[in-house]
Amino acid sequence: MNAEQYDSSANFAHAVAALVGRPVGSGKASVAPDPVNQPMIRHWAAAFEDANPVYTDSEFASGTRFGGIVAPPLMLQTWTMATPMITGIAQRGGAPVPSEGTSPMTVFDEAGFVGTLASNSEFEIMRYLRIGETVSATTIIESVSEQKKTRIGPGHFVTWVTTYVDDSGDTVGIQRFRILKFKPEGAPS
Amino acid sequence: MKAPINIDFNQVKVGDELPPLFIEVTATAVVAGAIATRDFMPVHHDRNYANKQGAPEIFMNILSDTAYCSRFLTDWAGPEAMVRKLSIRLGVPAFAGSTLTYTGTVTAVSQIGTEGIVEISLRATNDLGDHVSGVAVIGLPTSITST
Repeated sequence: MNAEQYDSSANFAHAVAALVGRPVGSGKASVAPDPVNQPMIRHWAAAFEDANPVYTDSEFASGTRFGGIVAPPLMLQTWTMATPMITGIAQRGGAPVPSEGTSPMTVFDEAGFVGTLASNSEFEIMRYLRIGETVSATTIIESVSEQKKTRIGPGHFVTWVTTYVDDSGDTVGIQRFRILKFKPEGAPS
Repeated sequence: MKAPINIDFNQVKVGDELPPLFIEVTATAVVAGAIATRDFMPVHHDRNYANKQGAPEIFMNILSDTAYCSRFLTDWAGPEAMVRKLSIRLGVPAFAGSTLTYTGTVTAVSQIGTEGIVEISLRATNDLGDHVSGVAVIGLPTSITST
């Protein structure tokens, strides 16, 4: 079956509906390769020239309500980013590691919605992380929109929800991330 | 480094404007941000790759956007502030060679126990338009007052 037939069939609608509630990736939690640590925090703070002393000055931080160094809250997503395999990263379209199995998102690519554009990122932070804590993340597809007409072509908005948990399994943050999977205008569909 | 100042929650009012933050989006800033957030997508460090994707330059990654938003908030609110929510919509890209201006306005103020809650509407713009627009919620201890 080619992409055109697939798109026009009811199979696509069914496949899209079946995505809701499914995990993105293997379904296993992504465990941060390293616990929250000062070198990575210092690197982050330097990159964004963020001089907030609760991130890097332990003496100062111990006198604040945090009681010690805390990780920058928006660094939450950084801890669980995959350790990349640099060789071949461009050939893989930027995927940090070779994919294991089929991503549920291939449903869109097979139907011609090959473009990907990030549209929203929403964070809810329950508490700040301390040095030594290990974060894990699980990501579920929360919703898929009807097909929408956008200025870059027709597409579907897909919302993922990532839940970040600490060593005890308690939620430390939730992220909703919305992307547009679109059919580039002018491209053969 | 000058001593960081905590804002006095009791004096925060709806309509207050945050001091703007200007970011020179150099190629170095784009690459530094991408790597510090462990985002190795080539569009954030390889201009040839970005060109092949139809972009004139490498551009800032989203993890850098949220990082700058949190810096923008705590540069104003101080080190006792806690970022509780950040919800952003992405607009035009921030290409290397551009400048971003972050602006924000207090849109709501409330209190939960001893925690002061401040809602802020924010945006980051460049010469192409709105790069980021959204809302943030921060918490401030109400016990901290400016004598």
